[in-house]
Amino acid sequence: MSDLPLRNRLLGLETEYGILVEGKDPSHLVEESAALVRSYDGVYAAPWDYSLEDPRRDARGFRVRTLAVNPVDLRYEAARPTCMSENEARSDRVLPNGARLYNDHGHPEYSTPECASVVDLVAHDRAGERIVLRCAQAYQQHTGARVTIFKNNTDYHGMSYGCHEDYLVSRELPFTALQTGLMPFLVTRQVFAGAGKVGVEATGRRTPHCLFQLSQRADFFTEEASVDTLHRRPILNTRDEPHANPALYRRLHVIAGDSNMMEYATALKVGTTSLVLSILEELWLPPFEVAEPVEAIKRISRDETLRWPVLMRGGAKVSAVDVQRAYLNRAIESLSGRDDETDWVLAEWANTLDALASDPLSLADRLDWAAKRTLLQHLLQEEGKQVDLAFLQGVELQYHNIAPDQGLYAALEQSDRVVRVVSDDDIERAITQPPPNTRAYLRGTCVARFPQLVQSVTWSRISLCHEGGAVIVDMSGMVDGTVADVNKRIADATTIRDIVRAIERKEQ
Amino acid sequence: MTGVLNPIRAEERLRRPTPAEPRYKDGDGDGPRRPDVQRPDVKDLLNRMRRVDPDAARRYRQRSGE
Repeated sequence: MSDLPLRNRLLGLETEYGILVEGKDPSHLVEESAALVRSYDGVYAAPWDYSLEDPRRDARGFRVRTLAVNPVDLRYEAARPTCMSENEARSDRVLPNGARLYNDHGHPEYSTPECASVVDLVAHDRAGERIVLRCAQAYQQHTGARVTIFKNNTDYHGMSYGCHEDYLVSRELPFTALQTGLMPFLVTRQVFAGAGKVGVEATGRRTPHCLFQLSQRADFFTEEASVDTLHRRPILNTRDEPHANPALYRRLHVIAGDSNMMEYATALKVGTTSLVLSILEELWLPPFEVAEPVEAIKRISRDETLRWPVLMRGGAKVSAVDVQRAYLNRAIESLSGRDDETDWVLAEWANTLDALASDPLSLADRLDWAAKRTLLQHLLQEEGKQVDLAFLQGVELQYHNIAPDQGLYAALEQSDRVVRVVSDDDIERAITQPPPNTRAYLRGTCVARFPQLVQSVTWSRISLCHEGGAVIVDMSGMVDGTVADVNKRIADATTIRDIVRAIERKEQ
Repeated sequence: MTGVLNPIRAEERLRRPTPAEPRYKDGDGDGPRRPDVQRPDVKDLLNRMRRVDPDAARRYRQRSGE
């Protein structure tokens, strides 16, 4: 179909940021997060078009009546100080780089534009950090209230918020095969994708407690598969919103990942998952099934010996690294040589698994959990004092602070102690420029050049004022390499008419 | 491999793949400016950790997200 990386699979990341506002409790966070988003001072288009979205549609062929809600969160909701409309609360902003910035349940959320390469996605994920930070600085200037933003997934009191991944997948892959094939991978990939956490927030029936675990999110999964995301979270989310032609595609919505600060961890997390989807699309299945995935994801996360045994159906125990190697070996066999980026992911995946098996903490310059654990060990050695769990959690939280003069990850990056995947220039460009080879280029171009003429936007559609009326551009089919031709034709567009003509030429 | 407490030598930097498509045109510089931050050393790292408010995590409360 195309020679783009990873066969041009569309990729995206949706990051919900933690927000701490001086003097405000959680019941105020919807208002404060919305105000922070509205502090965005660049060009944008709005509103978001929600008419095509249906988060209650389940990929297993049914639609649920309601989504589960967190009972503690309901109390915060009841105590909210104001009554805002849904649109006010969301405060959607569609940005010139094709991204979406909005308030989601009291968290500023940055959804990257659709990317066709892992490297582009990493740059756009990092661009999101800088955009949200800029909003926070503007909010602080307007309100005088001190605000701190964290790219993490927990408040250490049982509330979690996500970093979701999106992968366009062929509809020809049956969902049952996707679930069976993906589950061992999702349960074990935390060995390189986990962001690390001090302490335990929820207790499984049999899972042990620990001081430091691999994953921020593992504590919060109570189901194997379901459509829910806010409460009773599943390892595999079954939401069926393809944002593309539903006859041809699914959108795999992965909610089982952590927010990564390390570019390398983000690249490996997304790159390996995309490759695994490619081998599953060939109808390959791994040679094992995890006996109890919900229990296993917690056990792996909390295994401070770093051996990570996983109980399989039939009673065998396989280490998480060997589970990953089974996927890697098939991916090498099937995908090696496909393109530069595929080969890069395969090589780095292999190197990482080798290091995890022999000396996991040697990866502290590229994996978040290993960096955190090393930093905390160093602090404890230097301080020589007894472990105070809350203090260590505070230090860990500071790792995720996105302010460059405060965050611990930021300090590591500034002092050249972490492996980079993109340059600062790549990130700066991604703040204003959409990926050149996906439909995000069309969205971003319309926002950048005609923000006042955009009537509404969603991932697969944009409505534009045109010749006294409106023209709706359907982008649901613009998910393969052919969109590159459209993007070239609209590169110099100066009017909506130019845009419409460029798209009509594709359809002829 | 290098430890997180040691700077990475130039020859150990990761080589990432060459993009298949031409990179972006130069941006217009309308985004946030790159922060002007001094390069911290190990001592600075430790000081950042030591300066953390011991009650920061106790006070940190969020709404449930997705």
